[in-house]
Amino acid sequence: MNPIILVLGVISAILAVNMLIAKNPITSAMSLLGILLMSAGIYAMIGEHFIATIQLVVYAGAIMVLFIFSIMLLNLSDSESELKRNPGIFAGAVALGLGLFGFIGYAINEHFLNHRNDVIPGQFTPDVINQLGGNSKVMAHSLFTQYYVSFEVITLALLVAVVGAVVLAKRKFD
Amino acid sequence: MTNELYIQLLAAFLFTMGVLVVLLRRDTIMVLMGIELLLNAANLSLVAFSKTNSMIDGQLQVLFVIALAAAESAVGLSILVNLYRNFGSIKTQNATTLKG
Repeated sequence: MNPIILVLGVISAILAVNMLIAKNPITSAMSLLGILLMSAGIYAMIGEHFIATIQLVVYAGAIMVLFIFSIMLLNLSDSESELKRNPGIFAGAVALGLGLFGFIGYAINEHFLNHRNDVIPGQFTPDVINQLGGNSKVMAHSLFTQYYVSFEVITLALLVAVVGAVVLAKRKFD
Repeated sequence: MTNELYIQLLAAFLFTMGVLVVLLRRDTIMVLMGIELLLNAANLSLVAFSKTNSMIDGQLQVLFVIALAAAESAVGLSILVNLYRNFGSIKTQNATTLKG
């Protein structure tokens, strides 16, 4: 396996733990930013250049700027942001997390060990993608033909979100 | 171990961490950040599976997920600013107006 992907993955796992236990929300936001950058690196390493770019521009750029702006606007203190100390909630959440990780890991393992050959593979192997003119071109073609309706629905959702954000930010609560 | 299997395990770990962040942190902004982490883990999984199976559909769904995450964070953060304006804090246990 690729050592660069291994390094990126280990760093993002460490950053995820740091995001969970950090006291200051800014530290958590920076850890999340690091995780998003590492994910963009992984996308680039396995050949998905378009998604890596979108991840950098939209996630690591726009969304994280919005988060850090909100944290600084609200001027949060460390005491508001600690882990919940209630032992029942803590134990329940940790048990749920372990169970979830076990379940997903089991499903993935099952797929890769036993059911790998049941899947009918698609036509877009790396050779075919290179032949058709690269990852971005293939995705754009599929996006504007096969997934055109979904694309329009997503644009509508973004429009509704913009209007909703403006309305919510302007309104005074009675 | 192949790259794809490793990326799937990483996605599972990040998803678990996202669930723990949503459940265990006290303020609403961390809950929203946990949701972003969950979406990112799902994206990693989708890309790795569509790479494994030589398909393009998963990658297009990742684009839709990213667009929806942008919309969700815009609306969520404006709700949060509204919450702060009305309650003076964004702790999750303070927003109890709708509680029966």
